[in-house]
Amino acid sequence: MGFSLAWRLFKHEARRGELSIILSAIILSVAAVLSLSLFSERLQGALNERSAEFIAADRQLSSRKPIDLEWLNQAKSQNLEVAEQVSTRSMVFANEQLQLVDLRAVSQTYPLKGNIKLSAEPFAIGEAVAEVPSIHEAWLDSRLFQVLNLQIGDEVEIGDAVFTATRVLTEIPDAGFSVFNTDPMVLINMDALAKTNVTGPGSRVNYKAYFVGTDDALDTFYSSIKNELQREYHRWLSVDDDESPIGESVARAEQFFLLASLLAIVLACVAIGVAAQRYAQRHFDPVAIMKTLGASTATIRKVYLYQIIFIALLGIVLGTVIGFAVQQVVVSALAGTVDVSLQVWYWRPLMIAIFTGSICALLFCLYPLLGLFAIPPLRVLRRDMASTLKSRGGQYLTSGLAIFGLMYAYSQNLKVSAIMFISGIVLVVLLLGATYGLIALGRILGQGRMSAAQLAWARIKRRALDNSVQLISFALTLMLLLIVLVMRNDIVKQWQEQLPEGTANYFMINVTDAQKDKLAEHFANNLVISDDLYPVTRGRFAKINDVVLRSEVTKEDEDSTNERRAGMGREANLTWSTQLQQANEVVAGEWHDAWSYENSKLGEGIYPVSVEVEAAKRMRIGLGDVLSFNIGSEIVSVQVTSLRQVNWQTMQPNFFFVLHPDAMSRFTPTYITSFFLPEERKPELAQLLRPFPNVTLFDVDARINQIRSIIDQVSAAVEFILVLVLVAGALVLIAQVQASMDERQRELAILRTLGAQGGLIRRSVIYEFLIIGSVAGFMAAMANEISLYLLQSQVFKMSTSVHYEYWVVAPLTGAIVVGLLGAASCRALLQLNTSTLLRKVL
Amino acid sequence: MIQVTNITKTVTTDNGPLQILQPISFTVTEGQSVAIVGASGSGKSTLLGLLAGLDTVTEGTIKLDGASLETMDEEARAQIRGQKVGFIFQAFMLVPSLTALENVMLPAEINGSNNPKALAVDALEKVGLSHRASHYPNQLSGGEQQRVAIARAFITQPKILFADEPTGNLDADNSLKVEQLLFDLNQQAGTTLVLVTHDNELAQRCDRQLIMSAGQLREASMQAATERAS
Repeated sequence: MGFSLAWRLFKHEARRGELSIILSAIILSVAAVLSLSLFSERLQGALNERSAEFIAADRQLSSRKPIDLEWLNQAKSQNLEVAEQVSTRSMVFANEQLQLVDLRAVSQTYPLKGNIKLSAEPFAIGEAVAEVPSIHEAWLDSRLFQVLNLQIGDEVEIGDAVFTATRVLTEIPDAGFSVFNTDPMVLINMDALAKTNVTGPGSRVNYKAYFVGTDDALDTFYSSIKNELQREYHRWLSVDDDESPIGESVARAEQFFLLASLLAIVLACVAIGVAAQRYAQRHFDPVAIMKTLGASTATIRKVYLYQIIFIALLGIVLGTVIGFAVQQVVVSALAGTVDVSLQVWYWRPLMIAIFTGSICALLFCLYPLLGLFAIPPLRVLRRDMASTLKSRGGQYLTSGLAIFGLMYAYSQNLKVSAIMFISGIVLVVLLLGATYGLIALGRILGQGRMSAAQLAWARIKRRALDNSVQLISFALTLMLLLIVLVMRNDIVKQWQEQLPEGTANYFMINVTDAQKDKLAEHFANNLVISDDLYPVTRGRFAKINDVVLRSEVTKEDEDSTNERRAGMGREANLTWSTQLQQANEVVAGEWHDAWSYENSKLGEGIYPVSVEVEAAKRMRIGLGDVLSFNIGSEIVSVQVTSLRQVNWQTMQPNFFFVLHPDAMSRFTPTYITSFFLPEERKPELAQLLRPFPNVTLFDVDARINQIRSIIDQVSAAVEFILVLVLVAGALVLIAQVQASMDERQRELAILRTLGAQGGLIRRSVIYEFLIIGSVAGFMAAMANEISLYLLQSQVFKMSTSVHYEYWVVAPLTGAIVVGLLGAASCRALLQLNTSTLLRKVL
Repeated sequence: MIQVTNITKTVTTDNGPLQILQPISFTVTEGQSVAIVGASGSGKSTLLGLLAGLDTVTEGTIKLDGASLETMDEEARAQIRGQKVGFIFQAFMLVPSLTALENVMLPAEINGSNNPKALAVDALEKVGLSHRASHYPNQLSGGEQQRVAIARAFITQPKILFADEPTGNLDADNSLKVEQLLFDLNQQAGTTLVLVTHDNELAQRCDRQLIMSAGQLREASMQAATERAS
């Protein structure tokens, strides 16, 4: 009986549109979660593909000794594509001149991801090629043509072998980005390496193997060789390990998508919670009737559980279809900007969406249903009797646990889930306090003649608890929208600040003291703005405190693929200044601008140094440690007096070690600087640098453009996610207002019957919604601030700030949006004639 | 059929306990029709709720066809209601999302009858609404809704029928029709009828009239005799 009755009730209610609120809540939740997570999964796939270019593969094994051939064969047998690279530093001889280069010998399949780019002449824009040098060829960096005075077709000697410089090498995918320690690159064929004899005993050689394949295959391969990898020789890299600005931007965007999807889940939960409450209330009478007619609680339970299952199933099916369509539309709309493939299908988002739909539907309906089951049959005689299930604690607890469970299940990230959850709870507590405060205020204001405003206050006062639930749902929705909006603004802003227009795209090193002023003048005459000049001297680590440097510090030296570790090897680039560089922040100790040798407490011959905090951690040095550098033939001793946090994402020269200028007064430095040259002026480069033949130029324009294009793509995607969440939020708000208007129908009908003017009723409803909207907006702004602070500082690792503007914007927007929605639904109700209205509710 | 012995009902209010029913005792025999009349707030509906097992007594006993309601839990009382009791309410109390036919079927389904649909068609026929079988309650007039409710009340052939102001929401014309239908069907089925009403004329059609006043119940004939004596 339970099933057939449930099916009949479901069929009729669905046909008569009585399930629209709860059904649309479930559809909304499934559609929002599916479209958001499917889109973000596809986007992440596309971005990962893009990031993979920076390691030229999906995974990379870097090693200080030759990579076991057996491993490579094993990888091939496990259906992975494999490529190899051997790199070393070597000398290139041409035109009677020698130059130290970064020699890279690559296998035929290199690169597995990304492209080698070549140009016909130095410093020109490169074009992608799908080949590697033949065994007689060498492809050389533009700088080598400049330094060695080479022409295309000239011969160069590398070790014992002679090669023809056939092309200009402008880019390889995993070149890394480092101004220091990077010698100009030369690319040769792996099969030609042996004849050079440059990788003999004693030479420092780095071996890389590249792998491409499915995640599963890659993971299987990694687990099979994992135990054989030696920490001191091998390093396994995946795209996630990309610590470059791009890697961080992508990681941050991924976190944003995750956050947006989590918020969509919470939005969905709120929507379903509100709808389920309403659904249960509407069934109070039918349950009382059935009980009166002799139905057992078990029968009623069965009828309504079946009902919820039918509703959830229909909601999930429709939600899946709609979510998929929305996502498809978004991806097609973005096709020009973001390279997202529609061919790939991901099962996870679908699973999550179905899971969310069912869990939301069942858990959020649970408490309203329990209330429904507890309706006394006596209600048939006494209509004011409500459920005998009193405590709302149970409801809050189940709802809270369900939301937290879903957030955790989805994100697998306890921190993000906890932050969102805790700020939600803070908001709920604030709101409960505020509701009761409002009621007290209403009691004072609501006395006297019945004006529209007083009617509104009276309603708010009378329905305190219902209103608190409503207020909480409005505020939660507004808070979630605010979080997504502000996060998006802050992320995009910080990305844009990271690479503003006019970001230096060329670096110059080896500028001598004598050239400093001349260079500045020359650049100014040519209308090129150059950055500050930073003095640089190479220093070799001698000791930390009294301990001669242990070998582990030197392991990572010359790792040119990673600018962060550059300078951490046997040699470091030292600069000196009393002025703290931009985007540097002292996090421990004191900056040494006020230090003077006369008043020094550091000891005889010891000067202050500021060390980058991460480098300090890696080298296990802290405040008070004394470092000795060997510069030329002299020893300079410095004591760590401050630790700095450095924003490595700015494209400006940054340093691990900044000494006090007094420490370096004996040495003649060279200088490093950077400048911006627009692309159309690129041909002027040679002429610009002609007076300074010794200066070495680094062209990072390509790299910057790469970063920019990725950031643009990610920003566009973030915008779309924002729009999706805003639309979902708006729909939730509409559903909430409609649900609460439903509750007001009875009252409106009575007021109308008693002859209240439409205007009075409408105004009173608008006032009520304005009050609720502005309070919800204000509370949302407060809770938003807390969650943003936690999210930005703990999860996104961004700088935090207070968003004062939203303290005004949120209550205003809340009041306007909720007020307008209320006015619209009220208008629809008032358009019915009074008897229809009465019939509807009585 | 109904045996009421010294029942009271006390509820808790903000100002302490409030006794709404003074000790009440009476018996209704099988097939008898009894009207409970009285002013609003006199406790009529409370008494009806107790008699029908919708609510529980504070003290005393109620036997419904031999079953002691006060010893039963809600589930057992629901079972008794399903098997032995029919209801008609002032507010009709039809399930809005079920059609007239399905509303009538409902008690038969709950009761596990073999062919609820055929029974319901038959019952609707009897109240003259077979042509409205597929209509929803809000598509029916008040009188029609109450006739559907009457069909629903009789579908399980209950031994006892409780009616709470069955004509309270109807105009004079519809009231008469519903009244007639109620008594006709009652007579045909030999059901015991307990009816709560304001309407003296309706009350007069019953075999007995009980008057409720400030929580106390008296036989109308006794009251009439008392009035005459005074």
